[in-house]
Parts: sequence; structure tokens; C-alpha cells
Amino acid sequence: MASITIRNLVKNYGGVTVIPGLDLEIADEEFIVLVGPSGCGKSTLLRVLAGLEAIDGGELMIGDRRVNEVPAAKRDIAMVFQDYALYPHMTVRQNMAFALEMRGTEPAEIASKIEEAARLLDIRPYLDRRPKALSGGQRQRVAMGRAIVRDPQVFLFDEPLSNLDAKLRGQVRAEIKMLSKKLKTTMVFVTHDQIEAMTMADRIVVMKAGIIQQVGTPEQVYENPANLFVASFIGSPSMNFLPVDVQADGLRLADGSLLPESLIARPSGGHDRLTLGIRPEHFELVQEGQGLAAEIELVEPLGSDTLVHVSAAGQEVIVRVSPDLRPQSGQRIWLSPAAGKAHLFDPETEIRIDGTGKAD
Amino acid sequence: MAMKPSDSRWLDWINVVLLVLAGMIVMTPTAWMILSSFKPSYEVIAFPPKLIFTPVIENYVTLSKQTPFLSYGINSLIVTVGSTLFGLLLGAPAAFVASWTRITWPAVVALMARMAPGTLFLLPWYVMFRQVDMIGSYWALILTHAVITLPIVIWVLLPYFDNIPRSIFEAAQVDGCSPFRIFRRIALPLVSSGLAVSAILAFVFSWNFFLFSLVLSNSQTKTLIAASFNFIGEGSTNWGGLMAAATIIALPPLILAAIVQRWLISGLTLGAVKG
Repeated sequence: MASITIRNLVKNYGGVTVIPGLDLEIADEEFIVLVGPSGCGKSTLLRVLAGLEAIDGGELMIGDRRVNEVPAAKRDIAMVFQDYALYPHMTVRQNMAFALEMRGTEPAEIASKIEEAARLLDIRPYLDRRPKALSGGQRQRVAMGRAIVRDPQVFLFDEPLSNLDAKLRGQVRAEIKMLSKKLKTTMVFVTHDQIEAMTMADRIVVMKAGIIQQVGTPEQVYENPANLFVASFIGSPSMNFLPVDVQADGLRLADGSLLPESLIARPSGGHDRLTLGIRPEHFELVQEGQGLAAEIELVEPLGSDTLVHVSAAGQEVIVRVSPDLRPQSGQRIWLSPAAGKAHLFDPETEIRIDGTGKAD
Repeated sequence: MAMKPSDSRWLDWINVVLLVLAGMIVMTPTAWMILSSFKPSYEVIAFPPKLIFTPVIENYVTLSKQTPFLSYGINSLIVTVGSTLFGLLLGAPAAFVASWTRITWPAVVALMARMAPGTLFLLPWYVMFRQVDMIGSYWALILTHAVITLPIVIWVLLPYFDNIPRSIFEAAQVDGCSPFRIFRRIALPLVSSGLAVSAILAFVFSWNFFLFSLVLSNSQTKTLIAASFNFIGEGSTNWGGLMAAATIIALPPLILAAIVQRWLISGLTLGAVKG
């Protein structure tokens, strides 16, 4: 169990800088999720933490120890790989024992640790099978078991759920979260799936092009996104963005409708145009003639709620409504953002600004 | 375009005919060799050749009386097994490192050495081994035959190592393995069938190579294949004896190939299929 400190970390591949200087503090026993689109540097960062990639600049500390030059074998970390990376020629038991054997652990202790981990992960019936005789979910558990028996300082997960089907993914997601509570070990989990990030993390690190866009709890990142990128990446369906003109009496949308100051505070800075961001669930249906006029183009009933694709202010907007409303295609409705739930972004810097016109 | 069943049947027949033709072309010299070894000397070179004849074993009797065939066989075995082991010992780690680092030029250099005509090496080697008084020793033959076995081992194993997901090696690194342990505990067991294929190919090529033995061996260390040249004289050649010797020499590689043919095919096509 240990904290992780990353100071001004730089990683280059050939002449390309993948991580241009990254700072991050991960607390002991914290569950951190690195999230971002493909190529954002999240897996590279994880591999740097693991010692599988060299560091080109900056400092990496695990606990009190600087590990820049420490090889992976001596970092006391465990990693669960995307393809599980189980040793195909070894049984589940041998897979789990391998790292302990490398350390010279006594056979009796190895056996008891395997037994304990197997019970925790419910894989006791498969201990003498080879990986190829296991299903995807079982292999995933074995990969976690292999990490658990080592009792490492830090667990690293590299998109471990991406090879599972949707149902199993949800189940294993919950299992990993429960496990993290039991094990009380620092965990760093990489994913491109924002739902995994939201459901599992103590804190989410949103990355783009090797740069951290925002670090915060799932609630902070969801409710107060730092910029347009975070706002669009976190949340499904994505936040709706509408251009607005800043006027004396409020914000005017492209169709001429006015959002009064009572709904969203007008920034005091010298902005003429802003980008209004509203999540699909933060729209309210209002009376005819009020708010933003919209025509329903597509209805997607999800059971628990219904997604309605509408054409409003000259663009497509997605609205989440109660299934009881039974909206119909072609129907005309009027929308208004829920009070205090809309966000404003500077269209040039893409940074979110609050009602005073300053960045948060 | 979808193929009609009748078209596919025709293709099957064409395949069968082509395979039979290829088989006949490949097997005729072998069949000729084996049949000739059981013919009396005067019938071996008779034209047209007789397919129906009374088999005799006189060529084999002459062979066993005239030459210490067993000791030549043992020499062949020592040189072939030695050079195959030597090739495996150096070639397997070399292939692993080439695959791991993705630096393959040393493997290409090894292959070029294999492709160069053997006579190119003969003179320098003869001079070198004479300097260190090793002409006629098993070691001279084993070391020189490594030119045959080493590239085979490297090039057969390279696609096997390339085929192992890199994450398995990385998992082993994280698990605390040194590079040598990764090679021994993870990589080698995963390419065991490749090791068998490369060992057999190296054995066969080394067994059949006669040039180095012809020059670098002496009467005590001469290999079977070099010894068989004793039957070729300046004035006359004992074709029957030569065919009997060739049949015996061909037996070990043939038996080995028959035992492992399934492995051989999958091993030789591994790189091509998995890319």
C-alpha cells in the first residue's frame, strides 16, 4: 500500500512526445481511474507506472521511493492486462504461484495465499485448469487472483473489462469495486469507457493528448466539467452544446429564444458569444410558446427513461425524459434548461466559465 | 462469386492429379535409390531399368564388410547431434532476443551465411583449424556444422516467439522475472513445438551435409555421407554399394520426418499464417 507521486513526467516515443509533462498525486488506498479517448496517453502512463516503459523526464515516486530507474520486477506492483496475459502453459494455480515463486516465498505460504485469493474470487474449482479451458470472465478473475496473491503496493488495471460482454462487464465492474474496498490497496485503472470511470473511481483523471484535463470525484467531473472536452467525454449521451449570444437581459439562442437570468447567470466578463452546455437529463418540458421550440425527430425508449432526439435552434439536441410522457416523432415540444444546471464555456479557450465570467 | 459444387469437385480432382505428379517427381529418385540398393551391381545401371527383379542383399553385405559403417554412423550422430544442440543453445536465445528487441539484422546475417556456398568457408576454416590443431576432431565438425543449424533454429523459432503476445512477457516482468528467467520459464515452454521442428530440420540438414566432413575430418571422424564417397572411384563406381549406403544414410531423416510431419507442416507455415 502506497501513494503515487508523479512530477512533471515526460514520455517520448522516438521524436513524438506522448506525455509532455504530467503532475498527479494519488493517495494511499485510492481508486483512481484514468479515462480518455484512444491515444490520450492513459495506457502509456500506466505502463510508465508499471516500469514497462522508460521515463524521459520528471519524477515518479511510489511511496517514499523514487522508481524512475527501478525495473518493473522490483517495483512491487501488480498489473491486470487487457488480454489477461495468463501464462498459457501453466495451470491457474501455477499462474498465481509464479510471482511468489520468483520472490522465493515458502511453498506452504504460496498455497495458503492461493487458497485465500481463490476463495475471494470464487475460482477454486478451476485451480488445476489451464487458461484455455476457462471462459473470458474466469480468465479475468484468474488475472486478478494472480495480482492479489502478491499483496502488492499498487494494482494497475489496463482496460481489463474491454474483452468481456456487456452483462459480464457490469458484474465484474462491481466485483472489482468491492474487491478494492476489501483489499485497501492503491489502484490505478485505465479505461476509455466513461461509465466504468464514473462507477468505480474515487477520483477520475480525464486525459487528452497526454495532458490531464481534470482530476476530481465522479460527481465533480460530471457536475462541474473543467472544459468542453471533459463535458463532452463524461456522460452518456453526451452533453448538448448550443451557441448563445450574451445580451443585457440574458442569453439568446440561435433561434431567437431568450434564456432569462433566472435560469442561468449571465457572465460578467466581456464575452459576446458563449457555448451553452446542457446534459440531456437537465432539460425541462415547458408550456407551448415558452423556452426553446423543438421538433421530435427520433424516440429511443430505454425502459427506465426515454431519449428524445429533437431539432432545436438549428441543430440536433438529445433530451432524456420520463417514459410516461410517451413522446412521438414529429411532435413539437418546448424545452428549457433546469435552473442552475446549464454550463457556459468560452468557445475559444473551451474552458468552463461561471456566472462571474471567470474560469472555475 | 460463389462456386458451384461441380466446379469445386473438378478443382479437387485437379488437386489430386497435381499432388500425385508432385509426389512422383519427388519420390522417384528415392524409390530408384532404394530399389537399386537391392539389385546386383550389373543391373543397377541396366537400361531400360528393371522394375521387376529378384532382390539381393549383396550390396549391404559388401558395405558392411568393406567399410566400418557403424563407426561412421556414430561419427555422423556425434557431429549432427552436437551441432544441432549447439544450434539450439545459441539459436533459441538469439531468436528470442531478435523477437523481443525487434532487431532482426543479426538473424539476416546468419541466414546469409547459410545461403553462401559452403566452399566459401572451407579454405579459411581449414587454415584456422590446422593452426589450432583441430583438423580431424569432432569439435571442428560440430562448430562448422553450426553454420547449417544455427540459421535454421533462428529462423524457425523467430515466428514462434513473435506469435507469443507481448503482454505475457510483460506480465512476467511485472511478476518479478529477469529477462533470462522470462526466456527459460515462459518463452521456451511456449515454443516447445517450434524447438522440436527446428531441432529436426537442423538435424536433417546437418546429417546430409558432406562438404565440411570431406575436408575437416580424418579417417577416425569421417561422417557417413562423406564415407559414402568411397564408392565413387576414378575408373569405376560401385553404384550398388553407393545406393545401399545412400539408403541407410537417408533412413534417419526419413524416419524423423515421418514421425513429426504434422508438427513440421504447422511449424513451417506458422509465420505465414499468423503473419
